[in-house]
Amino acid sequence: MGPESNLVSTLRALARQQGVDPTDEDLRGVLDFLERILPALTEIEERLPPEAAP
Amino acid sequence: MSLDPFNAFLYRSEDAKPTSGTDPGSVPALRGSCVGVKDVIDVAGMPTTAASKLLHRVPDRDAECVARLRAAGATIAGKLNTHEFAFGALTNSPHFGPALNPWDPARTTGGSSGGSGAAVAAGLVDLALGTDTAGSIRIPAALCGVTGHRPTVGLVPVDGVLAVAWTLDAVGPLARTAAECRRALEVMAGRALPAEAPRRVGLVTRLFEQADPAVAAACEDAARALGETQPVELPLHEEISTITQLVMLPEAAAVHLPWLRTRLADYGPDVRARALAGLLLPARAHVTGLRARSWVRSLWARELGDFDVLVAPAMPIVAPRLDAIPADYRLLIMPYNSPAALLGLPVTVVPCGFVDGLPVALSLTGRAGEDGVTLAAAEEFQRATDWHRFEPETEELYTNPVSSDERG
Repeated sequence: MGPESNLVSTLRALARQQGVDPTDEDLRGVLDFLERILPALTEIEERLPPEAAP
Repeated sequence: MSLDPFNAFLYRSEDAKPTSGTDPGSVPALRGSCVGVKDVIDVAGMPTTAASKLLHRVPDRDAECVARLRAAGATIAGKLNTHEFAFGALTNSPHFGPALNPWDPARTTGGSSGGSGAAVAAGLVDLALGTDTAGSIRIPAALCGVTGHRPTVGLVPVDGVLAVAWTLDAVGPLARTAAECRRALEVMAGRALPAEAPRRVGLVTRLFEQADPAVAAACEDAARALGETQPVELPLHEEISTITQLVMLPEAAAVHLPWLRTRLADYGPDVRARALAGLLLPARAHVTGLRARSWVRSLWARELGDFDVLVAPAMPIVAPRLDAIPADYRLLIMPYNSPAALLGLPVTVVPCGFVDGLPVALSLTGRAGEDGVTLAAAEEFQRATDWHRFEPETEELYTNPVSSDERG
């Protein structure tokens, strides 16, 4: 199994733990999205002033 | 003969007709107004489907906003097409088909309140209700050449309205004019909105620079009618689209969780993808989104607090063809729609010209709670211009409608 398959398996496990059973194609789409947004999320977190509260 | 060649309605009442040609100002409140309601908002006795395969309920009571319109004399014409679950910017439900743009039925209305934009543009209703989570009133208003108002979050009650994302959702009007939008909004809000003209107007230069040059030029010309403006930059503008996604997607996943568990295969592919993305984002994404929203809000207050209204093109492009939606459509339009969505700000969208025969529009964004100011600016703009008076030529489409095969 390649790294993408491992990640898709991890996402499937996370989805199933929430009672949702997506297809491999669904999960590959989610993976693409996460690969784009997670670096942006981290960057925002690094710049957030500590006093910023919800 | 088609009664709705734009696929604007998902359900139509027999007894409501638009009052085109009458002066709504000559009658009290909304008496006689024929109102179309986006199909995520409950109307007693009419099915709510959200243009989905999953939902079909016939509520026994109106959403509060609809009840208030009825109490002011409005007649409900029916339920209007939407992007599936109002969770997208096109109005191309795989289950009900796309809404067609009255200015060119080969083109999208935008969305998600696309049936609302089409119905007002085609004169099928006097007024339509839409919802706006991240642009869903503003986008179809702009692409269909009508006036739309996204209210401050919380101004109009949302009970009886299917949520997309609780902290972003707003219900608002689309109509020919800002004056009609004001009248409907005041009824739905339950109070008068002060009509104070803006004193200081900012021009969001980046959004002009990023727009299609012909759209930008038309908007620049039109913006002169607003008087003196000063160039402004929005704080964290590049990050705001991402922050909005961080807030919106997990909230939407929470709204949809029961159906994601039991009916996942019944969603259209784009909505399913977005809901699953929200489900599988780490929990810290939503927390970071909320923290970043308060950060943006504080910077906005500090840097833009003196401006009463911010002006920009409502959309960077004209309505794309249904068979040629740009691959980056969502990314293209997010910078135009995300800032007010994230901060819950009021925005009035006004038609301001044409490019290749298709409408373009300006957005007028105000401070939270100052809906009356953006509406006053729009009313003043519409006293000085006549772009809102143009109507599409639609007569032939009633006898020769676009077939479902040609709808893209």
